[in-house]
Amino acid sequence: MSRRPGLSPALGFGLLAVAGVAVPILTRDSYYLDVATTMLMNLVLTLSLRFEMSTGQLNMAHISFMGIGAYASALLVTRAGWSFWASLAVAPLVASLVAVPIGRIALRVSGPYYFLITFAFLEVLRLFFNNAFVDYLGGPSGLVEIPRPHPLPLTGGAIGFTSKLAQYWLMYALFLVAAAVLIRLEYSRFGLVASAIRQRDLLAETLGVSVTRYKLGVFVLGSFFAGLAGVFFAHSHQVLHSSDFGLEPMVLLVVFTVIGGAQSVWGPVVGTLVLSVTSEFLRELHHYEILVYGAVLMVVMLVFPEGLVSLPGRIAHALARRRRPNAGTTVGARVAP
Amino acid sequence: MSIELLIQAALNGFGLAVVYILVALGLTLIFSILDIINFAHGEFYMLGGFVTYYAFAVFGVNYFLTLVLAVLVVGAAGVLAERVVFRHLRGKTLNAFIVSLGLLWVLQASAQLSFGVLDKSVGSAVSGIVRVFGLIISRERLVVIVTACVLMAALYVFLKFTRTGQAMRAVAQDPDAAALQGVNIEAVSALGFGVGCALAGAAGALLAPVFAVSPTMGALPVVKAFIIIIVGGMGSLPGAVLGGLLLGAVEGIGTLFMTSAAVNMLGFLIVIAILLVRPRGLFGVA
Repeated sequence: MSRRPGLSPALGFGLLAVAGVAVPILTRDSYYLDVATTMLMNLVLTLSLRFEMSTGQLNMAHISFMGIGAYASALLVTRAGWSFWASLAVAPLVASLVAVPIGRIALRVSGPYYFLITFAFLEVLRLFFNNAFVDYLGGPSGLVEIPRPHPLPLTGGAIGFTSKLAQYWLMYALFLVAAAVLIRLEYSRFGLVASAIRQRDLLAETLGVSVTRYKLGVFVLGSFFAGLAGVFFAHSHQVLHSSDFGLEPMVLLVVFTVIGGAQSVWGPVVGTLVLSVTSEFLRELHHYEILVYGAVLMVVMLVFPEGLVSLPGRIAHALARRRRPNAGTTVGARVAP
Repeated sequence: MSIELLIQAALNGFGLAVVYILVALGLTLIFSILDIINFAHGEFYMLGGFVTYYAFAVFGVNYFLTLVLAVLVVGAAGVLAERVVFRHLRGKTLNAFIVSLGLLWVLQASAQLSFGVLDKSVGSAVSGIVRVFGLIISRERLVVIVTACVLMAALYVFLKFTRTGQAMRAVAQDPDAAALQGVNIEAVSALGFGVGCALAGAAGALLAPVFAVSPTMGALPVVKAFIIIIVGGMGSLPGAVLGGLLLGAVEGIGTLFMTSAAVNMLGFLIVIAILLVRPRGLFGVA
């Protein structure tokens, strides 16, 4: 969709890729590398969450599919003796496979009902991770001793993934793949159809879009990328706990996405980056951290209902109106009583 | 296993369920009027708990006066929240979700800063037990159940028979049509939000003597309330009552046979099973 004003997809993607390369050049501090790695992982999650939201559905169980990818990979590596690299390819598929029946059930409803039914699935899956197959999933004390990513064998040696830096590069590569696919889809026919469904699904249906199948496809693909993030999470944290995939981390993903702007593919990027950096600074406030964070969310959402990503457009609009004071009043909707 | 034991267990479950129904009724009332899912609803419950703590345990006010006070204070807080924040978000479910989340964090952090993070014990308002047909129930639970039922009946009468209540239902059905008939939408939604929050405050005041009060006490009832309205159907008051009774029965009887974690899981599996048959809940409408 090149007609759409704003950042061109190639330029935006290029900026992200360059920024990603710049981080390890600017700092080798393991704390900052950790923060940056988590940011990239969260970007995969928010981009794929936004991808699902592009059809107008907020999937509150998104993080559960990250959990399925994480637990599946941990089990494949520790129990079945798979290589991390085989598991990296297969575990996200497991997540998308599980997404098929869940999506079929949840997608029969929309709007707030969809929100609540996926919330129910979030809790069911969290309780499942916490209580089912304790011998395999670790139960309430968590699944421990998950190995780091195995060295990647290449001709003439192997690349190890035990250092923070190597893990950063691994996550960076995964992020590039996810971002390339999801941004490309947004600016394709696929993205146009998603937008049509969001705006008026009944109309899209009459124009020959199989809305339910389409939504299911989006759900399954979104879950695939959540699962991919989950695989990385499992092998970089090396410990899995059911609360990693509960309401709290899920809510943070939604906050990142909506504060950034769920309408635009760049919204989750802006939201994730800005809020992650903000919360690093707010840490200084100790007891007041959550209070200020909550207040910031309220104010941003009330002042920018379309998210932070709408800020440049609004500034440009305000400047244009200052130059030509009557520019805005020609729009019919503005004059109508 | 005797039938008395089953009934006793179900009764224990109902004791808590009626209170969660109050929380769920508030949540669903607010949703039906403003199209908002208020995630900060549990914080109004918490506020009710702290009003009870300070009035009853610290200043020794009569327990029933304390209840009235909790309803009034939390209801006023609800009206304030609607006027300052939520009236700008009518119909914007997603934005309201984020804002209510922000409000949740603000209220919870403020409570921690001003009341401290530790649990505070309120102490029993009434003691002793009552025997009815061989069933044993503590007087405290009986007070909770009876008060909750009275509040539910009062809500029913208010919505069904008063002009304001009818206006509220009209706005829930169709805000534009209601406005055309001369209903003051602004006043109704402020009042509706206040009533919804007051119900949560009453619930917090009722359970304060049973559990302790703490800044995070709102998390559990609000999750229960969500389950209840998912089962009963969003925006449906009878649905909330039926969903709550169902949840109470499952939890009460379930704890006889299995661990509390398994009961939690069973509760959610029942939710999914109901949604398989009725995707919008028992009383939900498209």
